Amino acid sequence: MSATVKTLVNQPYKYGFVTDIESDTIPRGLSEDVVRLISAKKNEPEFMLEFRLKAYRQWLKMTEPTWPQVKYPPINYQDIIYYSAPKQKPKKLNSLDEVDPTLLEAFEKLGISLSEQKRLSNVAVDAIFDSVSVATTFKEKLAKEGVIFCSISEALREHPELIQKYLGSVVPIADNFYAALNSAVFSDGSFVYIPKNTRCPMELSTYFRINTGDSGQFERTLIIAEEGSQVSYLEGCTAPMFDTNQLHAAVVELVALDNAEIKYSTVQNWYAGDENGKGGIYNFVTKRGLCQGVNSKISWTQVETGSAITWKYPSCVLVGDNSVGEFYSVALTNHKQQADTGTKMIHIGKNTRSTIISKGISAGKSQNSYRGLVKIGPKANGARNYSQCDSMLIGDNAQANTFPYIQVQNNTGKVEHEASTSKIGEDQLFYFSQRGISLEDAISMMISGFCKDVFNQLPMEFAVEADRLLSLKLEGSVG
Amino acid sequence: MNSQVLKSTSINRDAYLTGLLNLVSRVTPPQPSPPAGRGPERVLEGWLEELEGWLEGLRDRSSAILLEETFPSTKDEAWRFTDLSPLLQVTFQLPETSNVASIPSSEITPLIFSEAADSRLVFVNGVYAPQLSSVAGLPVGVFAGNLTALPENYRSSIPNYLGKQHGATEVFTALNTAGLTDAAVVWVSKNQVIETPIHLLFISTLSDSPTISQPRCLVVAETNSQVTLIEDYLTISDWCADKSHPYFVNTVTEIWAQENAQINHSRIQRNSNVAFHIGKTAISQARHSRYTCNAINLGGKISRHNLEVYQTGQETETTLNGLTMIAGEQLADTHSALILNHPHSTSRQLQKNIARDRSHVVFNGRVFVAKAAQLTDAGQLNRNLLLSPKARIDTKPQLEIIADNVKCSHGATVSQLDDEEVFYLQSRGLDKVSAYNLLVDAFAAEILNQIPLNSVGIMLSQCIACRTI
Repeated sequence: MSATVKTLVNQPYKYGFVTDIESDTIPRGLSEDVVRLISAKKNEPEFMLEFRLKAYRQWLKMTEPTWPQVKYPPINYQDIIYYSAPKQKPKKLNSLDEVDPTLLEAFEKLGISLSEQKRLSNVAVDAIFDSVSVATTFKEKLAKEGVIFCSISEALREHPELIQKYLGSVVPIADNFYAALNSAVFSDGSFVYIPKNTRCPMELSTYFRINTGDSGQFERTLIIAEEGSQVSYLEGCTAPMFDTNQLHAAVVELVALDNAEIKYSTVQNWYAGDENGKGGIYNFVTKRGLCQGVNSKISWTQVETGSAITWKYPSCVLVGDNSVGEFYSVALTNHKQQADTGTKMIHIGKNTRSTIISKGISAGKSQNSYRGLVKIGPKANGARNYSQCDSMLIGDNAQANTFPYIQVQNNTGKVEHEASTSKIGEDQLFYFSQRGISLEDAISMMISGFCKDVFNQLPMEFAVEADRLLSLKLEGSVG
Repeated sequence: MNSQVLKSTSINRDAYLTGLLNLVSRVTPPQPSPPAGRGPERVLEGWLEELEGWLEGLRDRSSAILLEETFPSTKDEAWRFTDLSPLLQVTFQLPETSNVASIPSSEITPLIFSEAADSRLVFVNGVYAPQLSSVAGLPVGVFAGNLTALPENYRSSIPNYLGKQHGATEVFTALNTAGLTDAAVVWVSKNQVIETPIHLLFISTLSDSPTISQPRCLVVAETNSQVTLIEDYLTISDWCADKSHPYFVNTVTEIWAQENAQINHSRIQRNSNVAFHIGKTAISQARHSRYTCNAINLGGKISRHNLEVYQTGQETETTLNGLTMIAGEQLADTHSALILNHPHSTSRQLQKNIARDRSHVVFNGRVFVAKAAQLTDAGQLNRNLLLSPKARIDTKPQLEIIADNVKCSHGATVSQLDDEEVFYLQSRGLDKVSAYNLLVDAFAAEILNQIPLNSVGIMLSQCIACRTI
């Protein structure tokens, strides 16, 4: 392949602008006082402060994990701004019209329209700017169905009982280093509650935007699907271009009760740093879903294209009998990006099933690892897993690794795992060009074919976007 | 025995390792074996001195390495699923050397394979037993014997091979080297095709106290040569229930395949169920060489096999077949690593594991394809059969790939016997137990059929048959 493919992958990052907005930023550093300050700024109930302090004290005792296949200079946790928010008017916002127009403009520029009248598609959005939620659309329409969709700070004020019951129930505060850090300092995030036997009338979506340089973003998402309910949730993220690395340590918790179904899709496009690996987001995220009830289902779909470093393992804990876990992932790395991502499927209940489809594409000098765990517990009779991880290498400086852990403690279980590594073949490209299709088109077609199994799982609008995103990202890399 | 069993909590891992080191480094220099060469006596003595001096340096270096190391625990990734704390509870002694002489040759007779009747080396508790060995059937062009009997023309190259494989700093390998006084050596000269298979029999005997033995093996296949090896670890009188002291076998086998050499290596581990067996097989493959390993793991209370293949030239062929079949409370761990640094190589790996009762199988298969290793074709398949509800399998096929123009794949499956297959056999008049056994046999046969010696295959199928339900 020629240099054209190389030029194909090097599309500039178009979300790299900074919005000039007055913000309320606390000084750098982390201490018990900072944790108290964050809690006070958000007028949180007492139990929340205790939750945070407990997490902070745990975090102090923990060490950063070193097992991922990624390399980065040590992070100075005292050099991070733990809270930054656009200055708000003192009173509570009544409608979107009162949101700072600069903010609305910023989101408009990102392609996220927050004004409901202009929204054509049936998607409710919670927009999070730096540490706080600025607006949530379609709230009233959702409220009619009993669906609660709001920022987590608002939920803390209005539904503290739900938060107290579920927060930290799936990802305990001391789960891992970054989860503990997040539990101590998380600023905002989305909260979704779907009542019994309700099918959420529209797609719910959160859009995360980091704006301030040097600030960390620590958001927390909690989704609860009551018995017999159904919800589909999307998440998107971008950040401006800075030369420094920024830390993003989020925690997502999903709870699915009897017969409930949660579908969680992510298109992650944080700033990935420049081609020399300068700048970019460190994306250290803990995502876990608990299939607590019988016949419940949690499905993760992710398209990971951004971030300098990705460390992310959306997991399913299949406790309820007959529950189902799914994981569909496309992870694309280019230049000097590093990704160590995968999933964990923990089978605890009887007849639980899980599917893992992971597609990794590594170009440039990047490193892309799949790390997964399939665990069949001693009581998980009749459990079934199928995993497939394929890697595609573009250029001979890229690296693709697979680390699948399979742990089976029950002889009625069935686990299958397969993995392959390949590149785009000369003969395949020749076939395309012989049919009059240009090299670029051929490559982008092959890549979208390679990722089809995953894109098919995304909601329509996202699938189109994801496909486009991939071809843009890869522009200039195949050669 | 109780006096030797300490509470694991009170044991400091490092102190334990130092204890082991002090024990194994209490060595006695090798004694000249019965005349092997025609050389005058003083030449032999000169060689022994030289060898002893060189070995001492090797031992010292390994001891120094070992002092820096810590005894592995389940916190180390490589030992995550294999808990060695039962080993820590035992204080081992060096075996009595008099045991060697006490074994009557009638004990050995049933262990001899007819194809390799006069091409066998016998080591008892890691010590060469010339009276039990026989190399009369070997053609010219190959040397099989212990280190001291090495022919003159090979002596000067020993320092280039012994203890020179990658991974020599790994704890148990270093422990073996720290106590190294003698080794089984198979050396095939240039352009020699040795059709007679060579049987390396490493016998452990049970004694009144827990013992440690450290067999060592060196294989060099020079350019264009061919050889077939059977490396066999077993215990005699393991049917004596009252002598069931635990014992520890820590083996290291270094294999060098030079250009265009071809080695077929079968490694059979059938130590008794009170044994701790930790074994390392390290292979270097030069350009155009072909190496096949058939690793059969049946014995040991805790057994571990580290199988490491390093490529040093292009267009190599590597075939790794493995079968682990364990029951009771056994734990068997296979860690294989295939390091490909040169282009155009082909590798195939098939690892089959069968676990019954409360046994625990661990497999980690690493394939590393470096940037230079373009056009590599590497395939790996791991199939596991779980035969009882309490059995457990932890497997991790691991691919690390930097080269882009390669074909690499791996697969892993875990399941039990297919009900439909059992039903089919029952419909043909087999009872359920026979049907099960037949299917398990068939599962194992895929690996056993790869062993080039007929009698070994038959012996192993019997071994497996007597272990089935």
